[in-house]
Amino acid sequence: MERGIKDRTILEEFAEDFTKIVEKHCRYIIVSGFVAIAHGRSRGTEDIDMIIEKIDEKRFEELHNDLIEHGFECMQSENPQIIYMDYLLHKTSVRYTKKGEFLPEMEIKFVKDELDDYQIKTRVKLPFTGLNVYFSSIEMNIAFKEEYLKSDKDMEDAKHLRIIYKDKLNLEEIEKIKMIKMRR
Amino acid sequence: MREEHSEQIERWANYIRENPEKWKSKLKPFLDAQIIMARRFYSELMKTEKGRQTLLKIKEMKMGQDL
Repeated sequence: MERGIKDRTILEEFAEDFTKIVEKHCRYIIVSGFVAIAHGRSRGTEDIDMIIEKIDEKRFEELHNDLIEHGFECMQSENPQIIYMDYLLHKTSVRYTKKGEFLPEMEIKFVKDELDDYQIKTRVKLPFTGLNVYFSSIEMNIAFKEEYLKSDKDMEDAKHLRIIYKDKLNLEEIEKIKMIKMRR
Repeated sequence: MREEHSEQIERWANYIRENPEKWKSKLKPFLDAQIIMARRFYSELMKTEKGRQTLLKIKEMKMGQDL
């Protein structure tokens, strides 16, 4: 399904502009709430969660500078070395916005374990959303929301995604991911 | 999850599934309005010293958060 640019929401436009830059430097996935919202969930969010592969400092600096050149800024610091050493390497997320705007925000962190690696390896574009963005798989999102996150909001997101992809879901994959989460 | 709320989620998800060309235009104003209104609120806060202090606190809170 194709949609015109004018149909994009503010969040979607922000996501596509940001990911277009990130993709030049490393692999990424969009996870969590925005996955459900991009499939029509009618709930609010001000940020989009992104996991990127672990890259070295030099590559991160190039990524950061590219983002700055395209009008983004990092809330934590202007200095890419500080962002890299004091935040990302310590498994703390950092937030980027369009310069001078409070929101939306892109919240970024490095992959932290094998499951995150698996999410990156199995990343997908989801035509139903009409967006040129990589997401972690629908099965992964449902499993995380139902088994790990579990808030009311997350359970509702999972229910929504299960209905949208009713006949297409790999139910065995969802259970497999849940088992991996339980063993950890 | 309340039963009526659960039913509403189910109804809306089924609508989206069955109307892939229509749902976006219905949802876009709602999703955009949240961002527009929040931006407006933050801009208003920026106009006073007390508001700017509040914004600074919000920013500090966000800077310390993990995913």
